Amino acid sequence: MLVQVLVQLAVVVSLLTLLGIGVVVGRYRLRDTRREWLARLRAATPITVVLAVVLLANSVARQVVPDLSWMIGWNLTWAIYDIEGQFILWLQSYETPALTAVFSFVYIYGYVFLLVFPVVAYFALSNTRPLRELLTAYTLNYVLGLVLYTFVIAYGPRNMMPELVDALMYDTYPRYQHLTRQVNRNTNVFPSLHTSLAATVGVLAYQTRDVYPRWAIVAIPLAISVAISTMYLGIHWAIDVVAGIVLAYVCVKLAGVLVGRWSLADRFDVRNPLPFSRWR
Amino acid sequence: MTEADTAPTDRPRSRRSVLAGAAGLAVATSGCVRQVRTVVNREDVDQLSVTIVTRPADGDREGIRLARAIADVLEAVGVDVAIDMRSNEEYLRAVLINHEFDLSVGVHPGGTDPDVLYEALHSRYAEESGWQNPFGYANMQVDELLEDQRRADGDEREAIVADLLETVAREQPFVPICVPEEHRFVRTDRFDGWGEAHPATRLGYLELEPGSDVERLRTAHTDARPSENLNPLTAEYRDDEPFLELVYDSLATERDGEIEPWLAEDWTYDDGTLRVRLREDCRFHDDEPVRAEDVAFTYRLLQDTELEDEEGTSPPPRYRGLAAAVDAIDVDDELELELELDAGEAVAERALTVPILPEHVWTERAESATVPGVRVAQGTTEAITTDNVPPIGSGPFRFESRTEREHLTLERFDDHFTRREDVALPEPPVEEFRVGIDPRSTSAIELVTGDDADVTSAPLETYVLDDVEPDPETAILESPSWRFYHLGFNARRAPFANPRFRRLVARLIDKAWIAEDVFDGYAAPTATPVTEEWTPAELAWDGQDPATPFFGTDGDLDVAAAVDAFEDAGFNYDDGTLRVRR
Repeated sequence: MLVQVLVQLAVVVSLLTLLGIGVVVGRYRLRDTRREWLARLRAATPITVVLAVVLLANSVARQVVPDLSWMIGWNLTWAIYDIEGQFILWLQSYETPALTAVFSFVYIYGYVFLLVFPVVAYFALSNTRPLRELLTAYTLNYVLGLVLYTFVIAYGPRNMMPELVDALMYDTYPRYQHLTRQVNRNTNVFPSLHTSLAATVGVLAYQTRDVYPRWAIVAIPLAISVAISTMYLGIHWAIDVVAGIVLAYVCVKLAGVLVGRWSLADRFDVRNPLPFSRWR
Repeated sequence: MTEADTAPTDRPRSRRSVLAGAAGLAVATSGCVRQVRTVVNREDVDQLSVTIVTRPADGDREGIRLARAIADVLEAVGVDVAIDMRSNEEYLRAVLINHEFDLSVGVHPGGTDPDVLYEALHSRYAEESGWQNPFGYANMQVDELLEDQRRADGDEREAIVADLLETVAREQPFVPICVPEEHRFVRTDRFDGWGEAHPATRLGYLELEPGSDVERLRTAHTDARPSENLNPLTAEYRDDEPFLELVYDSLATERDGEIEPWLAEDWTYDDGTLRVRLREDCRFHDDEPVRAEDVAFTYRLLQDTELEDEEGTSPPPRYRGLAAAVDAIDVDDELELELELDAGEAVAERALTVPILPEHVWTERAESATVPGVRVAQGTTEAITTDNVPPIGSGPFRFESRTEREHLTLERFDDHFTRREDVALPEPPVEEFRVGIDPRSTSAIELVTGDDADVTSAPLETYVLDDVEPDPETAILESPSWRFYHLGFNARRAPFANPRFRRLVARLIDKAWIAEDVFDGYAAPTATPVTEEWTPAELAWDGQDPATPFFGTDGDLDVAAAVDAFEDAGFNYDDGTLRVRR
C-alpha cells in the first residue's frame, strides 16, 4: 500500500517537474547547465550534505521526540482551541467534494512538487546562491521545526473535533495516511512544517521573480494553497499556519545571512570558479 | 494587655500622653485589625475549574466527542472546563498511574462478571496505581458488599450483587455512560469460524478454520501499542486485545462468560480451596518446563512485584483484583498445587484466568527500575516497566519479530498442548499470525477489502459502520461487548468526593442522546457498569436513566433546573458561575 502510494507520488511529481523545466527553466539555461553542472554541484555540495545529515537525524529523532515531548509535557491544544476555536469550522463550511479533491492533491502532490522543483530550477542558474539559500532554508526549517515539536505537544483540529472537522483527506483517500504517518506524528502540529516549507519556497520565488517570473506566478499561489489545505483538511490550526509563516520568514532571513557570510563552499573548495555576487 | 499597662508611670506627662494616645490607637486598631482579619482571612471561593483528561480522535474518536459534550454541559452550569488530550499511553498513565486528573473520559475494560467492581472500587486500592480503584473512591458499605459477593455463590451472590449495584448507582463513583457495539470487518473467503468465540479473546482466533493453503493470519490493528510493548502487566499499553493471551497461557480460559480448563487439566473447588492439576509436559517458548512453581510464582508476583513477604508495597497495575482473591498457595509436586482463596467458586475460578509467567524470566525483574540520575517512584519495579520483548510464555503462539508502529509477528508454538491428539481444545489455525499496525478504521477496512488483511482486530470506530459494504468475501462481525464508556471522577480532589455532586454531574449527561449522536446509534446507554445478565430490573434501561435521569430532553439540558438542583445540594452560584471550595 505504502509502496504504491510512493510510486504514484514519484511519477506525478516527476511529470510536473518535467513540465516545469519546459515552461519555467527553458532551453538556454539547460544548455548552460550541461556545461557548468560540475561546478554548480561542487558549490552546492556542502549544504546538500548538511541537509541530508539533518534529514537523516530528523527521521531518527522523530522516533524519540514524542517520548521527550510527553516528558516535557507542554500541551497547547486546549489553549489554541480556546483562542481560535471556530475558524477551522468556518473554513470547512465551504467544503465540497471537488475542493476536497483539489486540496488533498495540493497537500500531497502540490507540496512535494513545490519543494522539489525549485531545487531543479535553481540548479539551472549559473549563480548558485539561490540554490544554496534554498537548501539552507530547508535545513533551518527542519532543525527549528524539530526543536519546536520537541517542546510543544499539540493535536490538530481533526483530533479535537472529529465530527465537525472531517479529516477530509484521510477518510476520502485513506491510503494517504500510510504516507503521512511515515513523516508526521499527530502531536506535531505546531508549527505547520507544510506551511513553513511552502512559504519558504514562496518567499524565495518572490525574490527570484526577475529570473523566474513564471515560477513566481506558480509558486506563490501554490504555497498559499498548501497553507490553506492544511487548515481545510483539518490537519492544522490557523495558529500553526501563522507560526509556520513566521518560521519561514526567520529561515529565509537567516539563510540569506548565513549564505552571504559564511560560505561553506569557500571553505571546502578553494577552486570554486564562481564569483559570489548578489544574484539579482 | 495593651502597651499602656506596662508603660512606666514616672515619665514626663507629655510623653505619657503620647504613650496613652498610642495605646488608645493600638487598642482601636487591634480591634479593627481583628475585624479585618476575620473578614479578609475567609478565603475567597473561586469558580470551579476542572480538566477532563481524554484521548484525541486518533486514539478514541468517540471519547473526545463525549468529553466535549460533557464539557459543554458542565460549562452550561457554570463550571470552567479545559480538555487535556493525551496519547493512548499518556492518557492511561495520567489516569491510572499518576491520578493526575479531575475528570476522565474513556473506555473501561469492564468484564463479564460483576467481580470486576471489586478491583475498580475497593477502598483498599485507593492509594495504588493501576486499574485498581483509579478513582480514589472509598465507601465502607460498598467495600463490604464487594467482599460479600466474592464469598457467595448462586442466588445469594446474585442478591448481593443487586444490592451492590444499587448502592453504586446511588453513589456514582463513576458514571457509566454506554456500551459501544463491537464490530470488526473480516474476510470470510480465507477463514471460517469468525464469531465462534469472542475476537478479543484467544479463542476467537484459535477457533478459526483456515481455507486450504492459508498459512498466515493477517490483522489490521488500529492501535500501535502492541508493537511497542508486550508486557502483560503494563497497564498503559494494554487494551482489549487478544495477542498476549495467545503468547501467555492461563490456567483457565473464558468462553461466553464460562470458565473452562486451559493450562490446568482440571480442578476441584472445596470450601475456599482449589486443587489444580497442570497438563503434563508443557513448556515455555524457551524450552523450560512449566511447573507448578511457576504458577505459584505468578500469583506472588501479581500481589507484589517486589516479591516481598508483606503484601502490597508495589502491586502491578493489572490483575490486582483477581490475584488478591488468592490467600495462599501450596505446591504439592511438579504439576499439582492448592490455592487457598477468600472467594466462592464463581470468583475463585476467575482467578485462574491470569497469565502464567515463567519464574526464571521474571524473578530478576522484581528489582526497582532505575534510570541514572532520576529519582524513580517507590514501587516501580522492572516487572511493570520492562517492554518485555521478546515475551516468553507457554501459549499457542510465540514471538517472532516486531517493528515499532509497523507490526508484531507471532509464529505457531509447535509444542503447545492444544496440538496433542488427546486434547480437545482448539489449536493454532495457522503458522504465522501477523498484527499489522494501521492507524485508521477507514484504511484498515481498505486493507481487508483489498485482501491485504483478514480482520480489523480492534473494534471499528462507529462512524465508518454505515459506509462499510461487505461483498461476498467479506463480512461485518458483531460481538457482544462488556467494555463501557465512563466518566471517571477523581475523588481525591474536591468536590468529587461529594456523592451529591457526582450524582448531579451524572444527571447532566443525556446518555441516550450520546449513544445516538456520538456513537451513531451503535451503542446502548446504560445505568450500571455490568453486563445485561447481571443488571437488576430496577436498573435496567427503560428509555431513560433509572438511577440518574437527565435534566432535560433530547440532548437539551434544562439549565435552570440543573442549577436549582446544584443550589439545593448546597453549592453556591455567583455571577452565573459555580463556586466550590477546593
